[in-house]
Amino acid sequence: MVRVPWRDRVLVASAAGMCAVLAISGCGSSDKSKAEATGPLNVWVRGANDSIKAYQKVFDAFTAKTGIQIKPFMTLTDFETKLSAAATSHKLPDVVVDDAAQLGNFETQGIIQPVDKSAVAGQDQLTDRAWDSAKDLTGKYYAVPFSAQANILLVRSDWLAKLKLQPPKTWQDVATVAKAFTTQDPDGDGKADTYGLDVPGSTTRGYISWYWSSLLWEAGGSYFKPAGNGKFAANLDTPQATQSVQWFEDQFCTNKVVQPSALNDTTTEANKAFQTGVTGMYFTGPYAYATMDATAIKGKYVAVAPPAGPANGQTLAEGTDIYLMAGGKTSEAKKLAEFMITPEAQRLGMTAVPTATIVRLPVNKTVDAATEHQGDDRWKLAQQVYQSDGHYEDINMPNWTALRQATSDGLNALVAKCGDPATALHTLNDKLNSILKTQGVAAG
Amino acid sequence: MSVSTPSAPVASVPRDRGGPPAARRVRRVRSRFSPWLFLAPALAFFAVFKFWPVIWGVYLSFFHVRPYLGNEWLGWANFSRAFQDPDLRAAVGHTVLDAVVSVAGSMLVGFALALLLESPARHVRILRTAVFLPAVTAMVAIAELWGALLFPGRYGAVNSFLGALGLGAQPFLASPHSSLWTVMLIQIWKAAPYDMVIFIAGLVGIDRQLYESANIDGAGAWQRLRHITIPSLRPITTIVLTLGIIRGLRVFTEINVLTGGGPGGSTETIVTTTFKAATVANDTGYASAISTLLLIATILLTSLTLWWRNRLEAS
Repeated sequence: MVRVPWRDRVLVASAAGMCAVLAISGCGSSDKSKAEATGPLNVWVRGANDSIKAYQKVFDAFTAKTGIQIKPFMTLTDFETKLSAAATSHKLPDVVVDDAAQLGNFETQGIIQPVDKSAVAGQDQLTDRAWDSAKDLTGKYYAVPFSAQANILLVRSDWLAKLKLQPPKTWQDVATVAKAFTTQDPDGDGKADTYGLDVPGSTTRGYISWYWSSLLWEAGGSYFKPAGNGKFAANLDTPQATQSVQWFEDQFCTNKVVQPSALNDTTTEANKAFQTGVTGMYFTGPYAYATMDATAIKGKYVAVAPPAGPANGQTLAEGTDIYLMAGGKTSEAKKLAEFMITPEAQRLGMTAVPTATIVRLPVNKTVDAATEHQGDDRWKLAQQVYQSDGHYEDINMPNWTALRQATSDGLNALVAKCGDPATALHTLNDKLNSILKTQGVAAG
Repeated sequence: MSVSTPSAPVASVPRDRGGPPAARRVRRVRSRFSPWLFLAPALAFFAVFKFWPVIWGVYLSFFHVRPYLGNEWLGWANFSRAFQDPDLRAAVGHTVLDAVVSVAGSMLVGFALALLLESPARHVRILRTAVFLPAVTAMVAIAELWGALLFPGRYGAVNSFLGALGLGAQPFLASPHSSLWTVMLIQIWKAAPYDMVIFIAGLVGIDRQLYESANIDGAGAWQRLRHITIPSLRPITTIVLTLGIIRGLRVFTEINVLTGGGPGGSTETIVTTTFKAATVANDTGYASAISTLLLIATILLTSLTLWWRNRLEAS
């Protein structure tokens, strides 16, 4: 009988070990969500900087009240990308706090749970508009609203004063002020290094469409027209849409009053351009008050109502929603959502950390933003604008982010080439119709 | 070693290859297995982090991937979609152009730098280190830095310099006409020093006697370069070219940081398109199909390069 030497036995054992490693990796994709039924509540929040501190205050108050521990993860960078990766590996958090505009994206992936609105404690205290930002086309709720807002226009008041100009009230005023900011050296440094308009014109997360939406509505246009039976047709090949794109493109191509890097800029770069005196007018959300006040331009800008277009002064309204994720700890997650809509949590979100207002406008009717932010009239303005002119994107569509991405790609390409708006919109309209078809809601 | 009883008194030769058949077989097994044992840790690592994801990716490319709703079998649909996708076709065009120009550019610049900086002198060593710095700096940091330097306004750092030379402000990354070319310049700036180091290693290996003989025969600098240096560097060129092609086809980081594929999709490449399909459109199946096609293309191109160089060597 031949005995195998020990070295050979080591070899065989190593080979077996390697096979085991391979086998484990091969089986590694099995469902792991069941293994996470215990432990703290995993909460992912799209936020950064001081927002993290503000959310922590809300979570601490929740833990103090319920004893439920929270393990938060917060980032602004590629948030949805990270969430997709987590979904692919079946490692979703229990709760996600993100834009209301992501509702369809999450629902079509099957990663969020429907919410029984009537079973949510305190649901009757929330505004109907806020609840509307948490439901899909079929009327089913898929989130609990947490915060709302509408965009306003920030303008450098010191530049206006130097050039003896008034804050803009119409599109024409915007064009005039933007031209003056670009050509008349408002910062007085003797260099032509300023620009009138600050536009996050990148296609990332659909920013350029996000920005342009207000112009579309202000011109009297819309993305879609209902065709009955829950079906829709794209509505961008209209004179109103063409007019809004023409005006938008003129600022880039004819008047050249937009920061030159705009078409590659996200809000991170656009914020920086406004904060560092490169641009003089920035159309953004009221959350920017805190961000801007933390920089050198504090006190050097004013917030004004969105300048009206040919049809009206409607402006982009948005919300932040609380999503209960598939496979998560549902009952604890629901408790957190119920806490986050209480007056106590809404107030904490507004004022606990002065440099971060994670609740911009409260969704809870019993809380008033203007009262909470006593002495800061900008919040009164934000509230008025939201109530009178706030216009949500078509976030109830089966997957709005896909439609917004397509619009962004089309707009970005058009403006980059300074092309013909009517032709580009016609192509874009066809593209949107084909996406509506894949989403099962196309007319005809 | 109780099994090996010497059959004849010839054990004086060290590492006797004889012995009974059983012992020989054990030795043969051992010598066949030993290299694999040394390779095992690396192989295990690659198996888990490279080979398995590749296999899994190829598998997923046949599905509409929905982690929480169950995957849907699509057959070849993702692949036929890839062949008909006009955006992907444009991205392939950008990628090929980018790969050809940046690989050729960095090879030329790298070769020129290698010729200039091949010397054991200390000051040249310092210079060489300085020139090599871009190659060891993270691509994200480089992209952020160049993004700031190339601000398209008149008072961007590079444009200020151009202004001093009497040239107008350039849009660089902000215009669809110049964005891809700007990205290529940045890639050449980063990759050329890397190629330089490989070329220097090759230059050092060239037999000095060849140059001396050529000198005696009255060959000039150009003739020495043409007939000695370049032919001697053929194997090295193959390495640089192969690495360059692979690097060129999977270009992603700099574009994602600098332009995100814009403006107007002018810098969209195969990998940025794949990335967006997977993360923005949540279409992992389609992204996997594009990745699979890219893998096949990379293997084919690399094999073709090697075959071509081998044929050239043989002739």
